[in-house]
Amino acid sequence: MVSVINSIDTSHEDMIHDAQLDYYGTKLATCSSDRSIKIFDVKGGQQTLITELRGHDGPVWQLAWAHPMFGNLIASCSYDRKVIIWKETNGSWGKLYEYQNHDSSVNSVNFAPHEFGLLLACGSSDGSISIISSTGDGTWDAKKIPNAHSIGCNAVSWAPPINPGDLLDPSGRHQPIKQLVSGGCDNLVKIWKEEDGQWKEDQKLEGHSDWVRDVAWAPSIGLPKSIIASCSQVCIGLPKSIIASCSQDLRVIIWTNDGNGWTQKVLNKFNDVIWHLSWSITGNILATSGGDNKVSLWKETLNGNWVCISDVNKGQGQISDGQRSLS
Amino acid sequence: MTLQWSGEQVVAKLQDVQASAMALDCLGEWAALAGRRAITMVNLKKPKEKPIKSPRQSKWDVSCVQWNPISSHAHLFVTAYNQRLDLCSWKDSNISHICSMKGHSRTVSDVGWNPFDVNVVASCSVDSFINLWDIRDPKKPSQSFQTVSGAYQVKWNKVTSNMFATTHEGELRIWDIRKGKTMPSHYIAAHLSKIHGLDWSPNSDSELATCSQDCTVKFWDIKNTRQCKGSLSPGSPVWRARYTPFGQNIVTVVVPQQLRRGDNSLHLWSTSRNNPIYQFVGHQDVILEFQWRKQQEGSRDHQLVTWSKDQSLRIWNIDPHLQKRCGHDLGDINDSSENESGQTGRDSISQDSVQDKSFKENDLGNGDLQRQMSMSPEGVLFQQPQTLQQEFDLMNTNISNVQVEEMDAASRSCRVLAVSGNFSVGLRMLFPENYPYTEPPTFEFLDPNLNSSIKHKLHKVLLDTASMHVRRNTSCLEPCLRQLSQALNQPWNLPTEERRTPETETARPFTLVGPPNKPQYLSWHSASGLQDINIPFPRTSGAKFCAAGYLVVFGRSHEARKGPSWAEVTPKSLCDLTDFASKSRFRNPQKFFNNFSISPPTPAPENVSVSSWYLRTTVSNQPKGKRKSRPAEVPEIKPVLAPVKIFDSACLLPIHKDLGKKYIIDRSNIQAMCSHNASAAGAVGRKDLVQLWSMVGISASQKLKPSDDPDDGPPWAQHPFGKEMIKYLFDYYMKIHDVQTLAMLVCVFWNREDAIVQPPKKEKALPQSTSMDYVPHNYSPYHTVTSGSNLLKSFKTLTGHLQGQSSRPPPTTTVQSRPSQHHLSEVSSHPDLVAMTVGVLKIRRSNSLSCLEDSFEDYKIEDEDGIKEKENERLAKLHESNCRLLDPNAQNQYDVFLKSYADILYHWGFTNNAKLVLKFLTHLPEPHTGIEFGVRCYHCRQEGRGAKCGSCKSLAFNCSICHIGVKGNSIFCLRCGHGGHTTHMIDWFKENKECPTGCSCKCVEAKSEITM
Repeated sequence: MVSVINSIDTSHEDMIHDAQLDYYGTKLATCSSDRSIKIFDVKGGQQTLITELRGHDGPVWQLAWAHPMFGNLIASCSYDRKVIIWKETNGSWGKLYEYQNHDSSVNSVNFAPHEFGLLLACGSSDGSISIISSTGDGTWDAKKIPNAHSIGCNAVSWAPPINPGDLLDPSGRHQPIKQLVSGGCDNLVKIWKEEDGQWKEDQKLEGHSDWVRDVAWAPSIGLPKSIIASCSQVCIGLPKSIIASCSQDLRVIIWTNDGNGWTQKVLNKFNDVIWHLSWSITGNILATSGGDNKVSLWKETLNGNWVCISDVNKGQGQISDGQRSLS
Repeated sequence: MTLQWSGEQVVAKLQDVQASAMALDCLGEWAALAGRRAITMVNLKKPKEKPIKSPRQSKWDVSCVQWNPISSHAHLFVTAYNQRLDLCSWKDSNISHICSMKGHSRTVSDVGWNPFDVNVVASCSVDSFINLWDIRDPKKPSQSFQTVSGAYQVKWNKVTSNMFATTHEGELRIWDIRKGKTMPSHYIAAHLSKIHGLDWSPNSDSELATCSQDCTVKFWDIKNTRQCKGSLSPGSPVWRARYTPFGQNIVTVVVPQQLRRGDNSLHLWSTSRNNPIYQFVGHQDVILEFQWRKQQEGSRDHQLVTWSKDQSLRIWNIDPHLQKRCGHDLGDINDSSENESGQTGRDSISQDSVQDKSFKENDLGNGDLQRQMSMSPEGVLFQQPQTLQQEFDLMNTNISNVQVEEMDAASRSCRVLAVSGNFSVGLRMLFPENYPYTEPPTFEFLDPNLNSSIKHKLHKVLLDTASMHVRRNTSCLEPCLRQLSQALNQPWNLPTEERRTPETETARPFTLVGPPNKPQYLSWHSASGLQDINIPFPRTSGAKFCAAGYLVVFGRSHEARKGPSWAEVTPKSLCDLTDFASKSRFRNPQKFFNNFSISPPTPAPENVSVSSWYLRTTVSNQPKGKRKSRPAEVPEIKPVLAPVKIFDSACLLPIHKDLGKKYIIDRSNIQAMCSHNASAAGAVGRKDLVQLWSMVGISASQKLKPSDDPDDGPPWAQHPFGKEMIKYLFDYYMKIHDVQTLAMLVCVFWNREDAIVQPPKKEKALPQSTSMDYVPHNYSPYHTVTSGSNLLKSFKTLTGHLQGQSSRPPPTTTVQSRPSQHHLSEVSSHPDLVAMTVGVLKIRRSNSLSCLEDSFEDYKIEDEDGIKEKENERLAKLHESNCRLLDPNAQNQYDVFLKSYADILYHWGFTNNAKLVLKFLTHLPEPHTGIEFGVRCYHCRQEGRGAKCGSCKSLAFNCSICHIGVKGNSIFCLRCGHGGHTTHMIDWFKENKECPTGCSCKCVEAKSEITM
């Protein structure tokens, strides 16, 4: 059984829009319509408020923790068109950087895999995506993908730092390519790739019939698609890239790329909008949550089908685990 | 400049007719005038004749009347009053009632026949429903569309079927009847105040015009709903705006309630000009309705029929000459004045090809008239205007509070009028030559009476904005005006004004209400609705996998789990919330206040939060008396939130934290490692892993260790339970995403030495210090013989030779391979050989029976020593590769397993175990390139790096406690440079503060002084 190990009363004065644990799972950050961000120490079951960060002039939509190798950093984005990166120095939190080059609400922030350095992607309702990077000497660089989604960008997610093709080609070291996926009000899921320092559209995935609310690139743990070739030699295929996207059209789509282009599979059609997706660290479980206040977990079976293994029942705070027979 | 037009018209005075609505039938024969007492039919062919009156008995006024637009059913018309629709037939001067359609719960505001389906009529109502009726089945609506706010107008597309538009206060929704019933296919936040009229273009399926209380007419293309295509500003609220059946023109009429003496006329506009072309003068009172009369075949005239409050019906004839003046070219009519205007048009095109003809014409002809036409085509958004003229043209003048009065590119000036609640400010901007490069425009307030402090503040805001843009060489007119508009909204007397910082580049969309120390809610309203429509409805619940194995779940409380009862799904956009808020305020303001003030000071009514969406239902469910009984109680907002819960989802994942901690990696004693790991796996209940580890133990046992001699039989790897089974295990654990087990298997079976090394690039061929880098024979556990080894018996001696060779020093080997270079041309197609000739002997192929045969041939033909050696080397390698359990082709994948698992171990905090796992990486991470501390050798005083001194080869760094050179972890003071073994230093500084060497450095305090 999945058990509650902690339950935190955040005392936010309005709706919570995001809650995230840090890398080690010891600090919880929450953000809310009351314009504040709160950070709690949840180590060992405690729930001590460490700090309350104020600086946004509108509801704070999303948070992202950076990899701990960069220190204790958290990025937040808000309706006030700002992205703020907060940093802990000697136990006290403060603003490290404020980015205000968006013309509308910033809906999504996400730190890149640490292999790429301190790099943050932001998606905004003005349709553009910003990629903010730290140069290391305290200054920040920003690249912008203008008009990434014609009406607005709702979500961004980074690809894991493993290149398709890396597993195929056994020769030497590869420079991983920076890739990210975004979803927007033009009902599209788009994949972006950095080439020669420029961000370019790599793929455009059409499948949703309404706004795409969230996208999540599954973490890669190096899973290939194995093919037994006719010469009885084992060919290692490209790693599977998996992206999940959810939309206002109530559907969740799993996009898979095993080297031969992206194929889509509708995970499920829900009764209400699904607005958040999250992959487990091993990439085998997808958590979906939406407007009906319900959470469901999905798992890929051995024959490649996706099954709902549980509905988290908020009232009881329990997940009934339907499928535990695999191991 | 407007021409007055009172020529050719027919006036029918109908003094006894009281009608609130008028409609013309599709044949152009009858006009129906509907009022509370009667429906009057006027024969348009003989308008002076006495109209035919049919009395009706109702206490409700007719809100709308519409004839069927299809000529086969031209006798049918529908009237709407109160909550119902009546379908009537007009035949033989008799009105017969056919049926009533009842389905709305509030007054029907508009009806519209589908121009493509004779049986379908749409009706809309402020009850927020739009119903489609099939007149053959009038009992219930055939389709029903729901919105969150009341609908005032419904109009079918004139070009394509299935599409209609509705207006809701300031918004416009476009519906496709084939699509969903709750989601419009397009949504346009069109106007800032109520839209009175709506009309589709007769020529295009995507263009439409809206007119509104905000005194503008706007043109839209639903292909781009973000921006209006253009606008007209008649200067007073517009009741109706309709396209003309000819040319690109529009006819507008002012709102009837607006009792503006002397302006009761209709205006005819070109869609691309901002001043009316013609004015229809004649009516004594406001015009209630106007429609185009269907013309006879072949007639070039158009007729406009108007019905006014002065109880007269007028028919205006618009002959081709006049049509041409409106820009509608009929081709064969010549008029001197037309030539003139055409000339101007051409001139302007030649002058500036970027500009629209109409723009320029307007500029030249009506220089003093205010230019309000704004065109911001998509794509221009990110384009920097090149000249001032372009900037003026591209500017979106739709800025609240600010009216652009004049823009003159020639004199490089611009005049605007900014209006705030109680005062108005005239502002003149002068743009210097160099603008927008380096020089900002100058601002001058034209109003001498303006309060100097306000003037000063406004000036500062403008100048800050302008100079910030100019610093980046970008144009600043529009941002400045928006900033000005924002500044005027700012309550200057409130302390919050201080919050305006000059560096805020974009307009601050929020006005803060109340003292800043009170919790404040964002005013969604003050933010422009044009933007909120793109912003998704906020997430109020979610589940996230965080760190390794935690699932964080946040959401709404049980009480707030549902939105309003009538909303089936959560809305899409933030603007729906605004709608909702305005609606609920409208219906029951008191309730609204009670629930959304979270602290006693009454918040401004427009302050809306997402919680309101969810809270409303709970409130309506509560008995009212109960609430009244505790009025003093501060309404709580807390119940909206459920506590954030952290779940341990570890049991759903194939990885185990316990195992991460307990697993040991010890290649020197694989048996012990396997049995330990098996028992660890048993302890967490993973039976499959217990089996796996015992099997791994057997596979890796000494008994199955391959022999060095290929003749000793096939190696274990070739056995079905060898390589094949390992592969199967990998496949299985990949399928269940068990990266922990995968990484552990890699740790057991993978030798970095087996990796395929990229052949060095050509210029690096035959490097001086090539090393053979052979695996020590007794190290690799799987040295055996290929299955084809029987064939190789004759090469036994050669194998021995190879073994001898492998012990030679590397440079010799390189030399040895040189004589064979002349064979390269024949054998270079074989990758192994190529690799060998460049001195790297580590390339192995997994199965090469075919190669084997090739090599026989090679051997037969090339009977030379060099070839024999090569052959031997290759066979030895073949043997080696056959002994291997893991395929080196997947080496990068093994690295990914190891890295992923190490990352998970880091998440868990098992740093040492992560480092151990990463030791098995094939491609080691890039060496550290950041700051490194140099070491001055303790013995020879040479500067160097790393633990060993480069010159004297002794350990360079001496521990100041034990005085022995430090090999492993060390720590030192950044100030005095003394230090030593980490454990020693930690022990020392637990009790002491000063350096153990006695240099009197306070090392513990020194730490904080060094900043990097």
